[in-house]
This record gives sequence, structure tokens and C-alpha cells, in this order.
Amino acid sequence: MREPWWISLIKAGVIVNLIMLAFAYTTWLERKLLGRMQNRFGPNRAGPYGLLQPFADLIKLVRKESFFPVAARHPLYIAAPIISMFTALAAFAVIPFGAGWQIWHYHVNGEIANVSIALILIFALGSIGVYGAIIGGWASQSKFSLLGSMRTCAQLVSYEVSLALSVLGVVLMGQSLNLVDIVNKQGATIWFFIPQLAGLLVFFFAMIAETSRPPFDLPEADTELVAGYHTEYGGMRWGLFQTAEYINLITLSALAVTLFFAGWHGPYAPLGPLWFLLKVFIFVSVFIWIRASVPRLRYDQLMRFGWKILLPVATINAVVTALLVVWIS
Amino acid sequence: MIVASVGNVLVWAVWLGAAFACLGSAVAVVSFTNPFYSALALIGNLGSLAVLYLLLSSEFVAAAQVLVYAGAVMVMFLFVIAYIGPRTESPWTGGPTWQTIGAVLAAGAILVEIVVAIGLKAGGSLSHSHHVDGAFGTPSYIGRLFLTDHLLAFEITSIVLLVAAIGGVILGAHSRTTADEVPSL
Repeated sequence: MREPWWISLIKAGVIVNLIMLAFAYTTWLERKLLGRMQNRFGPNRAGPYGLLQPFADLIKLVRKESFFPVAARHPLYIAAPIISMFTALAAFAVIPFGAGWQIWHYHVNGEIANVSIALILIFALGSIGVYGAIIGGWASQSKFSLLGSMRTCAQLVSYEVSLALSVLGVVLMGQSLNLVDIVNKQGATIWFFIPQLAGLLVFFFAMIAETSRPPFDLPEADTELVAGYHTEYGGMRWGLFQTAEYINLITLSALAVTLFFAGWHGPYAPLGPLWFLLKVFIFVSVFIWIRASVPRLRYDQLMRFGWKILLPVATINAVVTALLVVWIS
Repeated sequence: MIVASVGNVLVWAVWLGAAFACLGSAVAVVSFTNPFYSALALIGNLGSLAVLYLLLSSEFVAAAQVLVYAGAVMVMFLFVIAYIGPRTESPWTGGPTWQTIGAVLAAGAILVEIVVAIGLKAGGSLSHSHHVDGAFGTPSYIGRLFLTDHLLAFEITSIVLLVAAIGGVILGAHSRTTADEVPSL
């Protein structure tokens, strides 16, 4: 169903701000949950239950001096965090969060943009997002930054292959690259995490690596590389890199919910976006839980896991799914 | 009608922007002395090509262009350039004169060929009035073409890529065994 362009524009503005808010409270949730899992309180000074902590952090970051390494390549050094941030935010444009509504006499779709290549678009934006790390590390002209960006690049490129292959089974079953079609198909038949359990597992691990979160946080392994590609960044520029990382986590969680857990469909009540939000919340919490409980991998373990375990499993899953889909239909 | 003409202006504006970005970044690729900047300009070139594909309603080709070329291939370029480091101490100062003349002649010949080909083939069909249906350029449309009309070319390409992959593995494995045979100091 087509909607006027200005509705899409308004929706985009609202969604971007909602994601920023979700990001702010993901950091709060992470610090709170990690704290409880490590038998301490986490942030509890700014506001009730530390609820104002994200805003305190934001004000601190924005008010910091935007310092600049003498050797840094000026335009690229500034462009790198912007690239990361832009690709992270843009990817959410194609994720459906509701069935669509009739508001007054306008039809409002449950996603910002309904495109036939939604899934490829998300991966394309992800592959452009890698440049934020590479350019940032190179433009800083520092050994730690460069090593960090090399690691990031190798890790993200390796796991991107598994990530893309793991969703192939879902695409074959949904018979579309359009996320709205895939969600509707799951609502009409079966949630794809049941037949695509192998795909979900591969997607899950590849997703942790793609967002470089523990135990796959080698790009910024602080004991080895200080802080990886953003060693030379400070203030809100560093904040943008960090924001991009968390928003990628939220977007990929939302993508996992869309592909494997039927997006905004729920088992009991037709709550639409609330079901979607609840599932994304559970996913993000599981990520935080994993961060609290699994130690970081060694670099060779990371590469071996990606290429020798995840990739073959994803490939076999795709081939078997293809055979089954042809055989059944 | 006003909305339609606004849309047309938008298409023209995007086309002009993408076309000039394409030319500008192509010139930038060959004029930068620092290979890192050249590679970035090449990414810009591939990106603006993708925008042009989008205007031709081939969204799948555009996304694949960004994903495969601007994303995966150019990451490798940048990776290697950043590893080796820019050779700023010996920038390339230009080849011999005959090379320059030859390049200009070849480029001119290609330009003439393009103009002639468009003039002969396109004729009167270069207008907004030509319509493509909604399925044009979608993944299913392209997939069907690949597996019916262009099956042979598609399969040959995949075999060439497979050969390249095997060659890469053999080259890598070969250099590793020879490196092992050399006694380390």
C-alpha cells in the first residue's frame, strides 16, 4: 500500500529518535544488568535507579574538548564516525515493526520503506559501515588504531559471509528478500526459528561478531590494543562510534526478530509493535548476559570459529533448506 | 501534476548529482598520489554508479553493486593499502609521452563508439515515456533471467570464480610450504 511521501518522512524522524532513545537505555540496561550479574548495583546516582545516567553521559561527552591528533588526516578523521553512525541508523529503515494502520484517511505502513531488496540493503549498509572503522583507524595515524582497524576489518568481513549465508534458508522459505513478506509468511505459517534453528544459531554468533561485542570484541581488546580503531578518538566523536555499535546491536536484534521470530506477530494478543519491542528487548538482554558470562576469544580461535565452523554449517543449512523447499513444493 | 513535476525535478537532480559524482570520483581515482585516497574515490565512484542503477529501476543491481564491489572488494583494497602503507616517498610522476597519447586516443575512441552506439541503437526511445513494469529489476526477475536466458554465461562465470578461488588457495598453500622449508635464523 502506497503512502504519501511526507508520512514516510515523519515516520523516519520519529523512528530515528526512538532508536536514539532505545540506544540510550540499552547502555543503561547493559550497565544495570552487568552490575547485578557481578553482584553490584550499576548506575544508581543520576535519577531514580540511575535512569538519568544516559543523559548525564551524553552531556559529559558533548561538553568534552574535541581534540585532534597532530598527525591525523583531517577530513577522514572526522568523516569516519559519521559513516559508522549513518549506516547504523539507515539500516533500520526497512525493518517492519507493525501491520500498518489507518490514521484519519491516510494509510500508514508499519515500516519506513518497503523495498523488494530489504535484506540485501541491510547487508550492503553493514558492509559500508566497516569503512567507518577502517578509515577511522587509518586516519588516526597511530599504530594501535591501525592494528585495531585491521582486526575489525578482518573480523567483520569474515563473519559477514556467515551472516549472509545463514539467512539464505529464511529467504528460501519466505520466498522473498522483502522483510514485510517474510514476516507475513511467518504469521501465516510457522515462525522460522523452528525449521531454521541452525540458521538462527549461525546468525546469532555471526551477529555478536558483527557488532564486535564480547566475546568477539577483539577489534577493541583493551588489554592488547588500548581501544582499537577508536584509540585516538574522544568526546562525542568517540560517542558516535559507540552509538553506532549499540544501534547496530539493536538493528541486528530487530533483524533476527524479523527473520526468525515473526517480527510484530505475537501468540496471544494483536499488540503489533509491542510484541516486536518485547522480542528485541529479550534479544538485547541475551547479548548483555553473554557479555557477562563468556571470556574473550583468542584471535586464531575467532578466525577458526568463523571460517571452519560457522561457514560450513551455514552452507549446509542453505543447501539442505533448498532441497527441502523444492521437495515439499 | 505539480507533484509529478516535483518528482521529475528530483529525478533530474539526483541524476545530475550522481553523474557528476561518478565523473569526479573517476578523475580523483587517477589523480590522487596517495593510494588510500584513490581507493576511497573508487568507492565513491562505485556508489554513484549504484545510484544511477537505482534511477534505472534496477534496485537489485544497485544493492549488489554496493554490497559486492563497494563493500567487499574495496575493503580488501583498503586493507592491503593500509597494511603496506602509502608510498608517499616515491609518487608516480607519469609514464612516457607515448603512453599518455595512447591513453587519450583510446579514451576518445571509446567515447566515439559510445556516442555512435547510443545514436544508432537508442534512436527515439530515449525519453521518459518508455515504461517498464513493476517487476523489472526485482530479485525474482533477475533470478529467473539468470536461470533461463543467461544460464550458460552465469554458470561459466561461476566456474571462473571457482577456479580463481582454488588458485588463491594453491598460491597461499604453496608460499606457506616454501616458507617452512627456509631455515629460520
